[in-house]
Amino acid sequence: MNLRDRHFWIILATGALLGTLGVLLAVWGNPENSGICVSCFIENSAGALGFHDNPRMQYLRPELIGFVLGAAVSAIAAREFRSRGGSAPLPRLVSGIFLMVGCAVFIGCPIKLFLRLTAGDLTAAAGVIGLVAGVWAGLRGLSNGVELGTHQREQGGSGLLVPAFFALLLLFLIFRPGFVLSSDKGSAAQYAPRAISLGVGLLLGAVAQRSRFCITGSVRDAMLMGLRSYMPWGFLAFCGAAVMFNIGTGRFHPGMFGQPGSHPDHIWSFLGMGLVGWISVIIGGCPFRQLIKAGEGDADAGLVVLGMFIGGALVQSWGIAATAAGVSFYGKVAVLAGFTFLLATSLLCRERIA
Amino acid sequence: MRPGMMTICRTSIYFMLTSIVFSTLLLSGCKDTKKRPVMRIGYMNCNNEQETMQRFLPLTRYLSEKLDVEFVAVPVDTHDFEKRFRDGEFTFTHTNSLIYIILRENYKLGLIASDKRGNFGARTGGAIIARKGSGITKLSDIRGKRMVFGPMLAPTGYLAEYDLMLRSGIDPEKDLAYYAIPSGSYKHEKLVYGVLFGQYDVAAAPLLDLEVMTREGKIAPDDFVILAQTPIIPYCTFGADSKTDPKLIDKFRQALLDLKPSDTVEINGERIKVLKAAWADGYEELLDSDYNIIRDMARRVNMPPYQKY
Amino acid sequence: MFKDRFDRLLWLLLAVAITALLILLGTHSPGGGNDHSATGLNKALEREMAYQARVALLQKLYAPVENLCKSGDLQGALFRLDELARTYPGEAHSHILKGEILHQLGAREEAIASYVQGIKLSGDYIDKKSPLSRHDDIRRLVDEGLKEIGGRAKANPGNASLAAAMKNVYYLQSRLAGGCE
Repeated sequence: MNLRDRHFWIILATGALLGTLGVLLAVWGNPENSGICVSCFIENSAGALGFHDNPRMQYLRPELIGFVLGAAVSAIAAREFRSRGGSAPLPRLVSGIFLMVGCAVFIGCPIKLFLRLTAGDLTAAAGVIGLVAGVWAGLRGLSNGVELGTHQREQGGSGLLVPAFFALLLLFLIFRPGFVLSSDKGSAAQYAPRAISLGVGLLLGAVAQRSRFCITGSVRDAMLMGLRSYMPWGFLAFCGAAVMFNIGTGRFHPGMFGQPGSHPDHIWSFLGMGLVGWISVIIGGCPFRQLIKAGEGDADAGLVVLGMFIGGALVQSWGIAATAAGVSFYGKVAVLAGFTFLLATSLLCRERIA
Repeated sequence: MRPGMMTICRTSIYFMLTSIVFSTLLLSGCKDTKKRPVMRIGYMNCNNEQETMQRFLPLTRYLSEKLDVEFVAVPVDTHDFEKRFRDGEFTFTHTNSLIYIILRENYKLGLIASDKRGNFGARTGGAIIARKGSGITKLSDIRGKRMVFGPMLAPTGYLAEYDLMLRSGIDPEKDLAYYAIPSGSYKHEKLVYGVLFGQYDVAAAPLLDLEVMTREGKIAPDDFVILAQTPIIPYCTFGADSKTDPKLIDKFRQALLDLKPSDTVEINGERIKVLKAAWADGYEELLDSDYNIIRDMARRVNMPPYQKY
Repeated sequence: MFKDRFDRLLWLLLAVAITALLILLGTHSPGGGNDHSATGLNKALEREMAYQARVALLQKLYAPVENLCKSGDLQGALFRLDELARTYPGEAHSHILKGEILHQLGAREEAIASYVQGIKLSGDYIDKKSPLSRHDDIRRLVDEGLKEIGGRAKANPGNASLAAAMKNVYYLQSRLAGGCE
């Protein structure tokens, strides 16, 4: 660990900002323990665009738009925007769907997982163990030749499409056409002021692009290199900042029961996050990282993002998403289908040494 | 030995082994009911023996299947229950909550589980009712009127309402014109009809019976006025003799708690829903302390097991 | 990208398409003619009106029950509610009102179970700002449940029914705390 390396401090700052703003967004109006939750935001945004009809989950989250556009602007400014892709497009699309399944069954993405834990929600512990187990399984797969293939630099501008789509969403956010829905009840009716949300999203998108920060990447690097890698330090900064701000804002309530947005089905929390961890390693990043990469021009990540939007619609329409009462039958089926897909993909996309 | 003989011997051995294995497999599928212990469950009659057996035979069969014990259902009249239990006629009991307390206090009956039925689940209450339009609109109006109660050992047909009246300063022995208890079966329904058709002015009606009769369309909520309502108390209860194996009691309880509305048993070639037949929505594990409210009522009303002569 | 005539033609057509789009967006006024965006605006309005109509219908349907409650005839209200529940099975409002009545009658576990059923069907009753909100009543019930049922459950750790009752209390507590639902 080189303290003189600027990159180390960028990662540390990214982690600290993510933890701080993740708590503060909830203070400013986002749902409890969900100041930043990529999966919840995608479900809300999918609903706003009319992809599902849950009237309690329809709101175009400005943070999501900010993540992608912030990353795009940062990449362009640093001349790192490169249109690339072409590696296993359909498996990536389907991976995006199952990322959302895993998150919906746990009720949260990896960022929210740790925001919940740092707020004292001990039910998230099963998810943490699942995420770590999933990352480990993904690493085992990679070391045994499972690979979706590398992307290539593309002649066309396919990497521009997803940032362009989010630019369109920004126009929707500003001009609010009638077909964009907005809940007036439920968790989607809880949001921080739009300008603040967008600003936070842009800031986090930019710093995350510069730092390459990723929650599952931190877990992966910790397994492979321990604290010699910078990423785990960013993760520790994220957790430390989140704990501090949760305690400081009176949002730290340790316990197993009565936690917002949690359920008592620990085995399915473990499996849901396990699915997310495993997929994240195979496709090269957690849901948040996929958004950032899509902003940088990575069309493969863009397909994952589109898959996540499809998944966000499906988990609401098909009753896959878990609730405080627990995981539904369809949610359990979807998680097991996700593991089936993952295992089949690993078998089919494996380079075997003769 | 010649090769041919060896072949015949080998074939015979294979045939014998196959027969033994096949027979063992066949016989293991048979339930050896002769070896199952036999135990009796005494079910308190609400109205008559036939109704009791219709209600509780499926449940008894279900318990037999679950616990691998040959349970026998024994219908018992309310007033004979204590004596027959004392004489050791049955190990398990199903009674109203007052009889449960009597057996608990006198013979240390163990609590297993309580029936859930109606809006209050494993509890129920009683009410003092009058016909709408009779001019009786509040409890104090019942002084000097004709009243009908349910059976004396009925917690929500007699005990709870009697206690309610005493606590309200109305002595049923002195302040009413008279009170009666219907004869024969279906006493609870008879007392409701007695008020509706003017034979009596007020009645002590169990809330559960009012609920059921309303649901069945026999009466309408607008037909009567509820003058007062008792606190809610535990409903019908399963108990076990104190000498019963605690592990068996736990299994019995768990079998009851695990019952779902869709569970069925076969009786005379017919599949019958156990809970529906038993008139129950399920079973709940109450605590003995939940019955203290009935104990207090019985003391105030001078009813068994606390009666003083 | 400006190599030949075809490139130049493509750029020209692109400029025409973008200009046409900008002109269309710039000159569009909502509500005029064959305008599907007006339908989009109306969608939100229609949804709001349908919701208000539903709330008004529920208040009308269940008014006899609420009147009986106000007059103190809680058991009568319960009988009336049973009748309505047979006509409109699966209606969340029925479960919520039943929970309120049972709470007042002292049947705490059954009240909590009814509230749970109602809220699983419709989260409007737990939202603070909804016209159907029962947030404060549920908060009170949860506090009572944690104290009373929680105390008995702690003293009798093997009791399955108390554990099931506590599960319901924790569910309500979790819904009150918020989250993505």
